[in-house]
Amino acid sequence: MSADDESFHPLGKEWESELETMLDDTEYDSDLGMEMAQDAMRVTKGELSEAEFHEKYHEDVMDEFGVDDRPTEEAYEAAQQEAKGTVGRMLDAFDGDGDQSRRETMKKMGVGAAVGLSAWGASAAPDASFGSTQEGDAADDDNDGLQWGMTIDLERCDGCLSCVSACSEENQLDQGVNWMYVLRHAEDGQTADDLGNHPAGGYENMLVRPCQHCTDAPCEKVCPTTARHTRDEDGLVLTDYDVCIGCRYCQVACPYGVNYFQWDEPDVAYEDIPSESDVLPDDLDPEDAVYSEYDDMGDRWVDGRAPRGVMSKCTMCPSHQDGRRGDEMVGMTACESACPPGAIQFGNVNDSASDPEKYASNPSRGRTLERLSLPSADEVEEELEDADGDDLEAVLDAVSFDGMGDDLVDNEHGLGILIALEITGEHMGEMGESEGTANLADYEQQVLDILEVVEDHGLDLGSQEVLADLRLADAPEEEEAEDENGDEDENGDEDEAEAEDDFEGPDEDDAQRLIEMFAGTAPSSFKLLEDFGTNPNIHYLGNEPGPNAEQVEGPVAYDSLELTDNRKDVLDDSTVTGGLY
Amino acid sequence: MSTKSPTEADILRPIKNTSKTYFILFAVAALALGIFLVGWAYQLYEGMSVTGLSDWGTGGGVTWGLYIGAFIWWVGIAHGGIILSAAVRLLGMDRYMPVARLAEMLTLAGLSAAGFYIIVHMGRPDRMVTSVLGHYHITVNNSPLVWDVTVITAYFVLTATYLGLTLRYDITRMRDDLPEIFSPIYKVMTLGYTKEEDDVIERMVWWVALAIIIMAPLLLHGGVIPWLFALLSTYPGWFGAIQGPQFLTIALTSAISGVILISYAFRRAYDWDHIITDDVFRGLLLWLGFFCLLFLWLQLQQLVSGSFSPTTAHEAATASKLSHPAYIVPITMVLGVLAFIFATTIRPALFTKARAIAAAVLVLVATLVEKTYFVVAGLWYPAFNIYEATPGDYFPSLIEMSSVLGTIGLVTLFFLAISKVVPVVELHAVEHLRGDHGHGHEDETHEHESEPEVKA
Repeated sequence: MSADDESFHPLGKEWESELETMLDDTEYDSDLGMEMAQDAMRVTKGELSEAEFHEKYHEDVMDEFGVDDRPTEEAYEAAQQEAKGTVGRMLDAFDGDGDQSRRETMKKMGVGAAVGLSAWGASAAPDASFGSTQEGDAADDDNDGLQWGMTIDLERCDGCLSCVSACSEENQLDQGVNWMYVLRHAEDGQTADDLGNHPAGGYENMLVRPCQHCTDAPCEKVCPTTARHTRDEDGLVLTDYDVCIGCRYCQVACPYGVNYFQWDEPDVAYEDIPSESDVLPDDLDPEDAVYSEYDDMGDRWVDGRAPRGVMSKCTMCPSHQDGRRGDEMVGMTACESACPPGAIQFGNVNDSASDPEKYASNPSRGRTLERLSLPSADEVEEELEDADGDDLEAVLDAVSFDGMGDDLVDNEHGLGILIALEITGEHMGEMGESEGTANLADYEQQVLDILEVVEDHGLDLGSQEVLADLRLADAPEEEEAEDENGDEDENGDEDEAEAEDDFEGPDEDDAQRLIEMFAGTAPSSFKLLEDFGTNPNIHYLGNEPGPNAEQVEGPVAYDSLELTDNRKDVLDDSTVTGGLY
Repeated sequence: MSTKSPTEADILRPIKNTSKTYFILFAVAALALGIFLVGWAYQLYEGMSVTGLSDWGTGGGVTWGLYIGAFIWWVGIAHGGIILSAAVRLLGMDRYMPVARLAEMLTLAGLSAAGFYIIVHMGRPDRMVTSVLGHYHITVNNSPLVWDVTVITAYFVLTATYLGLTLRYDITRMRDDLPEIFSPIYKVMTLGYTKEEDDVIERMVWWVALAIIIMAPLLLHGGVIPWLFALLSTYPGWFGAIQGPQFLTIALTSAISGVILISYAFRRAYDWDHIITDDVFRGLLLWLGFFCLLFLWLQLQQLVSGSFSPTTAHEAATASKLSHPAYIVPITMVLGVLAFIFATTIRPALFTKARAIAAAVLVLVATLVEKTYFVVAGLWYPAFNIYEATPGDYFPSLIEMSSVLGTIGLVTLFFLAISKVVPVVELHAVEHLRGDHGHGHEDETHEHESEPEVKA
């Protein structure tokens, strides 16, 4: 692999001749290919610009191939993808599969340019990750693919442990196996007594800790068996319970402490998982609840509590995401469904229309959607039947919008917030592409339905007057227009019409302000231990625990819900001490 | 010191004579191993919950404990062979030739014990072959644990080859005096032997020794074993470049101690005062002192850098070292040994074999405790230390503790068994001692007694 002086290619003469042979095998001009390859290398060294390179060979390429859709830029990216993880790649070149895919890629790219460009990629991937040969990385590195993840609003968490319970119930976990864990923490010098409620509705200093399903998962990297893996199709980091040898290196390598080893026989037998659980139908085949289908390796046991002697952790409910429990469960986890304040938002974090992304991009709005108890459109329609007219006042008299939330001052405020939600919504009523269920999209759809009913009743919610009354736009400047042009009726009419035309619609800032006044803002957000390079897929809203933060007693005790906080209390019972200590 | 001339009969004595003590020792070692095997069987039956381990984080414990500590310890002890062989073959330090083969055998026994620990430590040892070998081509790119298994295996194979090659010379020459019952073994081991190969083998062995000496210290105990820990930036007690050198120095102290104990046991059992002379122990003890010094020096580096201006998590890790008996006691023991060895260089009269043995035992105990503490304390003080249950508790269960005695029993049985089959002292060593006897040897011995530090 040492670079030969005579070779232009960073991988050396041998590699270069192999490529040349490949070129000879094609029906195209090898000399042109090699010449282009050399120049492509010059491009990588900065001696030649990409555009110059393109221009220099345009005619030759047209002659040779009849078409020049050299995707210079795309090819560069593809080559980078291709060459990421130089070490793994080089090793791949030794076995058939790796070689094959490289050849295929080159053919697809147009062989000539590919020779140089692949070298380009090889030298232009400075942060090539060491572990990139393990499955899943291809999907993780681009931002387009499906990546399940969460936004967790810590300021809304009231520490009720519903999520912990729901996870334990869904997966039939042993006592102390807290895949989902919720804790409250105090900073240096604080005690639990110094902590109070958070204005957003939760408690101060909460931390909700599921597995972070890291894009660069250290647990996966150290696994000696590939049992710990990232799923190609959705970026979930899972454990194949049939492959794991129980060395526990993943648990050691994980900085978050999310892994739980199955130290002994699980409390619930495999075949009893559905019947013991209140949330799974009794007649459910356990296989449907715990197995997941893989393109290249058939079904793998990756969900539910682990069998004895292997590692387990939060899975983000693959049986839901795979549609094995019905389409309506896709895009939903047990903890998310159970969270009363809607602090957990699960979905595709690479899709701006998904719950977690919607929520994170405008937390005030997400909180508002979660906090309002929206009436159904039918209820509103019924109430409107008794309205005295179709103007704003009549509508507000007929419908009690202030019943949607405790903090709503009056009906006007309630309607204003509904409209503000629409104004600020970028993907109103839409959900992430891969999802079957999305809470926020549902709420948004409800908002749209209600507003439609109101509009159908005859109230123009887009008019400046109505919006101004609801404090969502400036008041129309009618009086000034009349004063100035009072004696010229024709022009006056025109101006009025112009004023209507000039109305640029509702003021987004006003709408945002209205929402923020109702639900507060979340000025801080973070990803946990981000500086360790794990690229976690949990996005937290709220304050990150400081370096001296220590867990303190939470609002609800684990044992009050028949959960165990410290697993050692359970495990100590089986430790062989001979009664001596 | 005896002035008897070493003979072939001397080195055949373990094979030809079996004393009552041999049987007693065999029984004790087998019992120790047996007790652990019963414990392990129970662990396989019940699950790993019979250990004192738990999950770190919310689980209030540590997920790696004594098994991993003892694993590192045994790999460390296994280095004895290589150091001695290197000294003899590569550096021409012929004075250690009589114990070189014992040391090489200790390498094989130590690695076997370490390998056994890997199996014992796993939740599903039955999947070792299918899961690890089946994905080896992928995992070897990333997993330090796979690097470990790879290097240990290579080390074992090289050492076994090395030992096998050097045994051909001895077995051929002593064939008539070796027990008939093992003749199939001897036949296989000397397959195709001709006198002409002696020179070639000698050169080959030199090269194999060179390969091992490069691999073992630099790649194994100064490499992949510490990398299991040193590469994890989220554990301040583990992370950092010093663990390579630190592990190596600790390994070498335990390795030399192991060789001292084994050599002494054989010398005593078979009256080998004239073969494994006092001089050998003096030399080994000086080397032990040198590596103890390095061991403590690198510990000091860590204490200083962990105390002066550390990160929050690193501060907690260092504070634990300065207060936990599992750190303070072993470090003090090593310090004591170092002080004693230093004193013997100033006043050679302080040296006695009993003290040398005591020093070796102290170092072995200290390194086992220190290594276990290192593993456990790393997990106690992670960067993400928010959990109430962190740092957790750990006290090994009886089964874990019996594993140490069990593997010591295993290694003892290994020596008891192998010493009945092949000579544990090289014929070369006897020839060398005999050839040098008369003048050279006596002179040399004399010189050492007056100025041991110069030669060591």
